[in-house]
Amino acid sequence: MKLRWNKTVALASIGALAMTAIPLVAGSAPSGASSKPTYVIGVQGPFTGADSDYGDYDYAGVEFAVSQANASGKYPFTLTTEKFDDQGSSTVAPGAAQKAVGTKTLVAIVGPAFSGASQVSYQYYHAANIAEVSPSATAVALASGTNSSFLRTVADDSVQGSADATYLVKTKGVKNLTVIGDESFYGAGLAKVVATQAKALGAKVTTKSIANINEGGGGNAGAYSTLATSLAQSDPSAIFYGGYAPEFGLLLGDLASDGYTTSKHVIMSGDGSNDPALLTSTSPATAANGSFLSESATGKVSYFTGKLATEFTKLTGVKAAVAIYAAQSYDGANAIIKALVADKATSSIATLRSETVASLHNVSFTGVTGPIAFQSDGNLKVDKGSVQISEVKKGKIKLLTSVG
Amino acid sequence: MGFAHFWLSGFDQIRTGFWAYFAVGLENGSLYAMIAVGYTLVYGVLGLINFAHGEVFMCGGFAAVFLTHGILGDSIANGWESVFLILAGIAIAGSVSALVATGVEQIAYRPLRRRNAPKLAYLISAIGASYFLQTLAGKEFGYGQNVFPAQVFPAGQTMFFIGKTPIHTIQVVCLVVGVIMFIAADRIVRSTKLGRGIRAVAQDSETSALMGVNIDRTITLTFIIGGSLAGAAGFLYALQNGIVQSSGTELGIYAFTAAVLGGIGNLRGAALGGLLIGLFGSFSVPFAFEGNISWTEIYTFIILVLVLIVRPTGILGEKSGRTA
Repeated sequence: MKLRWNKTVALASIGALAMTAIPLVAGSAPSGASSKPTYVIGVQGPFTGADSDYGDYDYAGVEFAVSQANASGKYPFTLTTEKFDDQGSSTVAPGAAQKAVGTKTLVAIVGPAFSGASQVSYQYYHAANIAEVSPSATAVALASGTNSSFLRTVADDSVQGSADATYLVKTKGVKNLTVIGDESFYGAGLAKVVATQAKALGAKVTTKSIANINEGGGGNAGAYSTLATSLAQSDPSAIFYGGYAPEFGLLLGDLASDGYTTSKHVIMSGDGSNDPALLTSTSPATAANGSFLSESATGKVSYFTGKLATEFTKLTGVKAAVAIYAAQSYDGANAIIKALVADKATSSIATLRSETVASLHNVSFTGVTGPIAFQSDGNLKVDKGSVQISEVKKGKIKLLTSVG
Repeated sequence: MGFAHFWLSGFDQIRTGFWAYFAVGLENGSLYAMIAVGYTLVYGVLGLINFAHGEVFMCGGFAAVFLTHGILGDSIANGWESVFLILAGIAIAGSVSALVATGVEQIAYRPLRRRNAPKLAYLISAIGASYFLQTLAGKEFGYGQNVFPAQVFPAGQTMFFIGKTPIHTIQVVCLVVGVIMFIAADRIVRSTKLGRGIRAVAQDSETSALMGVNIDRTITLTFIIGGSLAGAAGFLYALQNGIVQSSGTELGIYAFTAAVLGGIGNLRGAALGGLLIGLFGSFSVPFAFEGNISWTEIYTFIILVLVLIVRPTGILGEKSGRTA
């Protein structure tokens, strides 16, 4: 009886497999289809966790570029996209990078989104000759050397940090500034640039640092309360925080509790905090009102306009007006596509990967964010420009002005 | 000159902001003490460090988030409504954490105890339970998603002033709840039949079993008491700092340190250790070199080591180290 049952199951299983195999075979080789190779452009960034918006927006930009490339039919390859989730964390990122490197048809990466994740991922991509084109990793130290496999479509922190300091000292008239770094690769780097520049402009600068909690820093939220108490006691006229939205929100709430508010002081942070997550990470939410947030103009969200914005939203379901760094990801993906076209060898993925690194250094085109061409160290050739300052008003991040 | 100026500047900050540092130190210290009680009780009866206790605390914080948002939504409570919600938050968060603590005991420890497993097995099991709870919370509520309970009283509300220093409602609530819950736990352990059972098991579990103490029941109730305090602390902590899947690890280390400083296994020692670490962490902020707040942790652990060198069993610890 048992044997008969097994035979029945086996026959049914074979039948079911046969039924499913027919459409699968038909789908993989439709009549008249060309034999174009299929390549993967990976996207490394946070797809889960507090900063998942960044990853989703980056992916949407790449998805949009790939969709347009495939629809054009003019390229000798078909492209697909794949997510590699690093949660924006330096501890998770190596795993994500190794998974990407092990993806057989992956030719290049758009990302990582965050500087700390980029720092620890670089060795894996570099060893495999895989190009990384980051839309948002802005730490100065990331780009170095020649024929770098790390490239970026965004200006680095020296541009943003200098403009932030100039805005605080020159525009807001800050004389006594406390600069806090979150001990992350990105946050500490940005804070250092702001402190150096503000000092050079004549402000009295005090530097502090506190370990972040959510980016692998191992910090303790209780320490933010004590830091806020200390800041309220020393009462500087302005505070700049180099770090990310969850911790900046925590600090804003603690500062407000201690009477250090945006109505009497200037409180500012960089692009790491320029995220809607800031509004949900601040308690009370009103404590975020009046705080200033910067981002490099190459990081602004208004590049997709008109028909492009409509098509972007239709394809990805993401509103172009909020998709920070999606346009930089779009330009990054298009740079990779142009490099792939320029590549000569198609014999192996390994060769294609290393050729793509070299070809990326020769691409030159006008992207939606501006001229896209890379220096030998991986920075944009036009690595300058204005920085945009936003202010939180009535629970929303509103663009205020451009500086620099 | 610079070095002397640094220390003088630090003392000057303490002088001008004494009450502010004192209040925030007591607030943090009360929370450490409430969590430390769980570590010390479990150590007392089982002789092991319950490394999942930080996650028991974290579960209470998340429970409070759901409870308060379910009742209040986006509105802000005031007056008697605040009192009711604080009590409800403590009750629910405490109950959820007690339930989780009991689950940890039943699943992670009891099977090992029945098989007379070596202490190392308990340690691995505890770490496993800790990771399990943390990962589960991360998957369910989002990794790194710091969420706040609804405002059971206006966030940042000042209750009164000492001089010009505002003392916040959350600081008073943490201290008052901490003191009440600690006194309750202390009375239970020292003056009730259950407490006698706990102390008996802590001293000699085999003999106490022969004397009629129900070991399983006593251990379960120990986890419930420790879990309740941790859950209430989770609720109060979340009101001030929000809660995230990793919150238990951060606070757990401090609370465990507090239990060791006070004398692991000693209930009053845990409370004293918690308050001292909270106050020390707060008052050392002005002395952080180059403004690096991590120095406060270095100072704290230097003090811990010095105390343990002088008194290896902690401030109130006894030779056995297992007095509950």
